[in-house]
Amino acid sequence: METYRDQYVTLFNNGMKVVVLGVSTDADTTLNNWARESSFPNLFASDPDQTVAKLYGSADGKLDTRNVFVIGPDGRIAARMMKFNVLSADAFAELGKDVTATLPPPKGGSH
Amino acid sequence: MSSILRPRTAGLAAALVAATAAVAVAQQPAPGSAAFAPEVGAMAPDFTLPGATRYGLLQKPVKLSELRGQTVVLAFFPKARTKG
Repeated sequence: METYRDQYVTLFNNGMKVVVLGVSTDADTTLNNWARESSFPNLFASDPDQTVAKLYGSADGKLDTRNVFVIGPDGRIAARMMKFNVLSADAFAELGKDVTATLPPPKGGSH
Repeated sequence: MSSILRPRTAGLAAALVAATAAVAVAQQPAPGSAAFAPEVGAMAPDFTLPGATRYGLLQKPVKLSELRGQTVVLAFFPKARTKG
């Protein structure tokens, strides 16, 4: 989740109107410890029996696949990136674009 | 010649049919695999899970539908302390 953290401001509107939710099979205490040690700004959820991973087609054996879903304010899937490549700057740029597309246009504008 | 070849060909054909059937079974998507991922435009399936932040464990579990009105980036990953 390091890149999510490092690009939190630009890609995720610094968490304004955006909730980044990382989900894995880890215990909530493990996620808490890791988040504290790494200063992750985002939320995590613990899904040890992969109930939610299965619901989202993201269970690969006993671990979760790195699939990312952008859910709009209306609760619908706005974008999905299957097998998200966390080493790809382009993948993160695209994710940021998908997120921005769900946000209301910035107020004021230039006139 | 052809009377010798014919049974062999029939055997080969039967083997091919069996092999094709085996492939068809193998291609059935596994439960929880990508074939079951919700499509763009679909309602995101609701869920409730224990949550955590760097500050501690959430007293109240995370419920997706309670985040309505905000954009949610739902990022599945295999394991804590892996790069990414």
